[in-house]
Amino acid sequence: MNVAQPLELLVNGQLHTLAVLPTTSLLHVLRNDLRLNGPKYGCGLGECGACTVLIGDRAARACCTPVSQVGVLPVTTLEGLEQDGVLDEVQRAFVQEQAAQCGYCLNGMIMTIRAALNQGCVKSFEDAKQALRFNLCRCGTHVEILRAACLACGVMLDDAS
Amino acid sequence: MTGFLEIVRAGQAPKGLSARSGQKLENLPDELFIRLDETGTATGYCGHVDLGTGIRTALTQIIAEELDLPFDQVGMVLGDTEKAPNQGATIASETIQVSAVPLRRAAAQARLVLLTLAASRAGIRAETLRTEDGQVLGPEGSNVRFTYGELLVGHELRERLDEAQPVKDPASYKLVGTRVPRVDIPDKATGRAVYVHDVGVPGMLHARVVRPPYGGWDHGPFFGCSLQSVDRDAVARMPGFVDLVVVGDFIAVVAEREEQAEAIAEALPVKWAPLPPVPDLSDLAEALRQNPDTPRVVSEDGDLGAAFTGAAIDLQRSYLWPYQMHGSIGPSCSVADWREGVLTVWSGTQNPHMLRADLALLTNLPEASIEVIRHEAAGCYGRNCADDVSGDAALLALRIGRPVRVQLTRAQEHVWEPKGAAQLMDVRGAADADGKLRGYEFNTRYPSNVSPLLSLVLTGIVPAAPVAVPMGDRTSVPPYDYDARKITVHDMAPIARASWFRGVSAMPNSFAHDCFIDELAVAAGEDPIAYRLKHLPDERAKDLLSAVAERAAWQPRPGPAQPNVQARILRGRGAAYAQYVHGTFPGVPAAWSAWITDVEVDRATGRVSVTRVVAGQDSGMMVNPAGVQHQIEGNVIQSVSRALKEEVPFDATGVVAKEWGGYPILTFPELPKIDVLMVPRQDQPPMGAGESASVPSAAAIANALYDATGVRFYELPFTPERVKARLDEALSPLSLPEMSAPMSALPRPGTQGPASVGWGQRIGRLVKVSGLAGLAAGGAALGALAAGMLPLRAPIAPVSKPDAALFSQAAIARGRQVAAAGDCAACHTAPGGTPMAGGLKLETAFGTIVTTNITPDLKTGIGAWSYPAFARAMREGISRDGKHLYPAFPYTSFAKIDEDDMQALYAYLMSLKPVENVVPSSQLKFPFNQRWLLAGWNTLFASSAPFTPDPTKSASWNRGAYLVEGIGHCSACHTPRNALGAEKLKTAYLDGGEAEGWDAPALSSLSRSPLPWTEQDIYDYLRTGFSSRHGPAAGPMAPVVEGMQHLPDSDVRAIAEYISSFDSRNEEASATRLDEAAAQRLAATAGTSLGARIFSGSCAACHEGDASFMFGNRPSLALNTNLFATKPDNLIRIILDGSTAALPSGGAMPAFGNVLNDKQIAALVAYLRRTFAPDEPAWHDLPNYIAKIRQTAH
Repeated sequence: MNVAQPLELLVNGQLHTLAVLPTTSLLHVLRNDLRLNGPKYGCGLGECGACTVLIGDRAARACCTPVSQVGVLPVTTLEGLEQDGVLDEVQRAFVQEQAAQCGYCLNGMIMTIRAALNQGCVKSFEDAKQALRFNLCRCGTHVEILRAACLACGVMLDDAS
Repeated sequence: MTGFLEIVRAGQAPKGLSARSGQKLENLPDELFIRLDETGTATGYCGHVDLGTGIRTALTQIIAEELDLPFDQVGMVLGDTEKAPNQGATIASETIQVSAVPLRRAAAQARLVLLTLAASRAGIRAETLRTEDGQVLGPEGSNVRFTYGELLVGHELRERLDEAQPVKDPASYKLVGTRVPRVDIPDKATGRAVYVHDVGVPGMLHARVVRPPYGGWDHGPFFGCSLQSVDRDAVARMPGFVDLVVVGDFIAVVAEREEQAEAIAEALPVKWAPLPPVPDLSDLAEALRQNPDTPRVVSEDGDLGAAFTGAAIDLQRSYLWPYQMHGSIGPSCSVADWREGVLTVWSGTQNPHMLRADLALLTNLPEASIEVIRHEAAGCYGRNCADDVSGDAALLALRIGRPVRVQLTRAQEHVWEPKGAAQLMDVRGAADADGKLRGYEFNTRYPSNVSPLLSLVLTGIVPAAPVAVPMGDRTSVPPYDYDARKITVHDMAPIARASWFRGVSAMPNSFAHDCFIDELAVAAGEDPIAYRLKHLPDERAKDLLSAVAERAAWQPRPGPAQPNVQARILRGRGAAYAQYVHGTFPGVPAAWSAWITDVEVDRATGRVSVTRVVAGQDSGMMVNPAGVQHQIEGNVIQSVSRALKEEVPFDATGVVAKEWGGYPILTFPELPKIDVLMVPRQDQPPMGAGESASVPSAAAIANALYDATGVRFYELPFTPERVKARLDEALSPLSLPEMSAPMSALPRPGTQGPASVGWGQRIGRLVKVSGLAGLAAGGAALGALAAGMLPLRAPIAPVSKPDAALFSQAAIARGRQVAAAGDCAACHTAPGGTPMAGGLKLETAFGTIVTTNITPDLKTGIGAWSYPAFARAMREGISRDGKHLYPAFPYTSFAKIDEDDMQALYAYLMSLKPVENVVPSSQLKFPFNQRWLLAGWNTLFASSAPFTPDPTKSASWNRGAYLVEGIGHCSACHTPRNALGAEKLKTAYLDGGEAEGWDAPALSSLSRSPLPWTEQDIYDYLRTGFSSRHGPAAGPMAPVVEGMQHLPDSDVRAIAEYISSFDSRNEEASATRLDEAAAQRLAATAGTSLGARIFSGSCAACHEGDASFMFGNRPSLALNTNLFATKPDNLIRIILDGSTAALPSGGAMPAFGNVLNDKQIAALVAYLRRTFAPDEPAWHDLPNYIAKIRQTAH
């Protein structure tokens, strides 16, 4: 199917009607059509996590998710976590712990922890590491990111970290 | 005009790397450092940029401190070429140490001007005034109080910077030296920050570049002149196409939308000249020795000859550092716009002024007509492709006349980023028996350059000539006090495209210095820390190392390491010290750094874990200690990654690693515990803190490895293969109880029948048939059969297209379901073409068959076909004109379609919109191109018998049988065919066949799936595209499932009931057990081979373990039939092509064919087989097999 088709997409609580190829990546639609730049292009292969958004309440790699696969599920981007000017608890934790250097991977870290928190998957410091095992950070901000993840998920930090 | 105060200095000639621009030096505009205006706020201007280090925050602190302004009333402009001073590239950790010096003075001077203004307004002496919170206040008790803003009303002041302007006494600092939260993080955490990737300009187009095949080199006779042809016409009609720009070897496509640019770049046919031999980097040390060099003695003291004469300890060692990647998480991006004579370039560059000079050269515009606006980008740690992509964007914006955004792909960033250079260090050192250091002779080879802007050399504007740049001298002088020393830097031209990368040349040099001193300590029988302290002349270095040793509770360990060679896990601890010295020799020292690290080594696998790092740093005065701490931690993590894992692989074409699987970096579970010690020295000048903590890393880890194993390591990275090989060689072989034996998946069902034939044999069969002998035999057989038979059948007269209104809506609706059940569109649609309009090429053993247009177009489709002509074609394989259809069209199955369904299908097809589409003719090899021979074939193999229900089975089973055997034509792919291409329906029904080059697995008890297919499994698979017990539909099955979405649930259930009745295997394993066993094997082998690393980096995010918080099916490879198949075809094809089918279950997979080469995929496939199907025999000769599949891939 190589023709643009009208498609409805529910993003951050707003319904959008778009005419795009069904194979277009969700990331391109979010960034280029909806100007939501929270999710970032990192690899296009689902390897690094920089493009992470929530589909339903789970973390999805928007770079390799064809927009047609979203269906009727709601999409939430980093921008959509904030409600009425109040930051989401995960965003607050990342700001409090200063968990960014360049910040390019930050979107993926926040959205992944948000999804893990939604599912109640982070019950320990080790869980936080496991939840982020498929998210890459090159600046080496891992220490602060894990602190933020633990703060957001209400778990204890490992002693020396 | 509102009032303002500016502190400026005369334009300065660019220094260092910026100087190469050849910029004219007269009439340089003044450089602005500080501007305050009536609002009372200040803006600071700095030529350096924030690379994610938090420098914006620290500079803001400095200005606010000197001006006594609240922190939030100070803004910073960084690196904008129109506004900020040219302070050269943001390199060498020098922003605070060097570039902030004039800024700090300017702020202090501005405060003085404000005091003078206030004194004049109040009529009192300035000395009696003080500043606080953006106000000038009079003496205690006076009413004198002016805000900075009101003092500037009516003034337009521009003062020359006084380079001797006194600044505040650090003892009085209130803001500098405190942990201030970074100004940029709230915006980054909410998506408000505008990275260069996020810049949008009205009317902006999207471009993709197409780079040459010589990936990762930057000179050579082929460079810039290898392009032979580009086929513009092949893409010019693609949706969104705007332009194709070709200059020399520079190619870019420009489109309205980003995905269109991607598709066009992917589709563009480009012919390149064959690549001549490139430098062989398989023996890196040898390549570095052979690369021509100019020796440069940077330091020579004492009598080296005498030092080596009669020394008790005299060691010679060589240390090798690999090429490494900066590895920015975001591939570089830039936007450019050419408007009204000004070229504006939004860039993530670390050197805006240097880039502007390059852009002037590229565009032939004066620098004054170019503005580089710097935005933050993904961290770069040196020079990545940020400049290159800005050149690309500038070139395109000028050509197209509209704003253009260029986004590099992950593969382009990996391949083309100028790499951190490899380096070879040869050391000879001597000491007395009592440990006194006598002599040190050091030779270091560093092949780097300033990597010319790629577009400059691809277009040929600048010749791609290698230039040696003297940058190998950083920290080339050891910190230890040798009586005599000679330090020689061998300056040399680049080999691969290279540039500076964090700790440039100092990290490798220091690796050598500090591994070597460790060896001398052991030879002298002394504790490595005590030995260093004894020979370090620098008091601050000694203080630091002592503090780190104390923090780490270092236990003295004089003499050789004493590892327990019987243990599998060995633990050790090592130390190293270094001071990063940057800039042109002798350079400027940055912060002092020392490491003590703990490692664990698994002797069985060679895996090294860095478990703890105590990293100490003396940074002098720390403007923002939190920022310094983050830099130390970041350096620790990045350098552990570099030391343990990172090495750019090259082959005869260039850089092999095009994504993270091929170039893994440290992940969260591998994170060491990090203990940062920061020496309080707020009374001392600030020292660069951005790189220092990386510098001692490799030596500390190597020394800890020695402590653990008693074996020295001289080459990075410390990968499992390298470590295991050296340990196995150096230590007596480890006797271990059998390592966790591969856990058995499932006892295999019987291995008789076609499914057990190895792929080699199957290929052999195909070759035999299509080979000369086979052709002769096949031809003879067909010829004999055909004798005496009618070669052609009578045509059926054309009709005018039946009016769709003649058919009832009910008939059309039923026909739509019949078409869905048969998934006509799957074969009768070309990739990207109109559904049912034909043109799909089916590769068969007999040649290429092109599917026909079955829309009701009169000329090119079936519009002129009467119903009898249609029914005859469907049931007997005879075209309307009387020609035989090839049995790739499964008329043998369609014969079972009943009359009502056949009429409904006809009605439905006639109700479609006619599409005029001439499809190419099929290309079959002789004798298979002789259609008349098919008459004989039909006599032998075709049966036009209608479907007969089995009265012993349920109605639902019979409904399933009708659909599967008839319109569904499942056996067309899932039943093996004989040498003449006929299905072996009687002997091997549903025992597995082939489809479009994919293995169509057996649906019978010969299925290779680890779990039997139950009715529910088949239902799930067909209804949603995914069975949790087997996996997703992909390849040719994906469109089948897509097509079946129109089928009623009862029909899908009926099909499931019927097909599942052919798989009579018992359930002998549980999904959980298989998954757990595979997880254990994954954990045991993680990181230990190329295949394991590619799996972890490229596949694991979607295929490893439980991650219930992640969207998607996470298909389990332990349950996937393809891993257990006799042939690796399906596994290889899904890796190469991925899947974008729109299935209800989701389940898209990206294609890896363009980012993994045959060797990588072979390693991955072999690893997957070993890990997920350990009881199955290994697949052999995979690289060649993969190459063959690539040739036939669609």
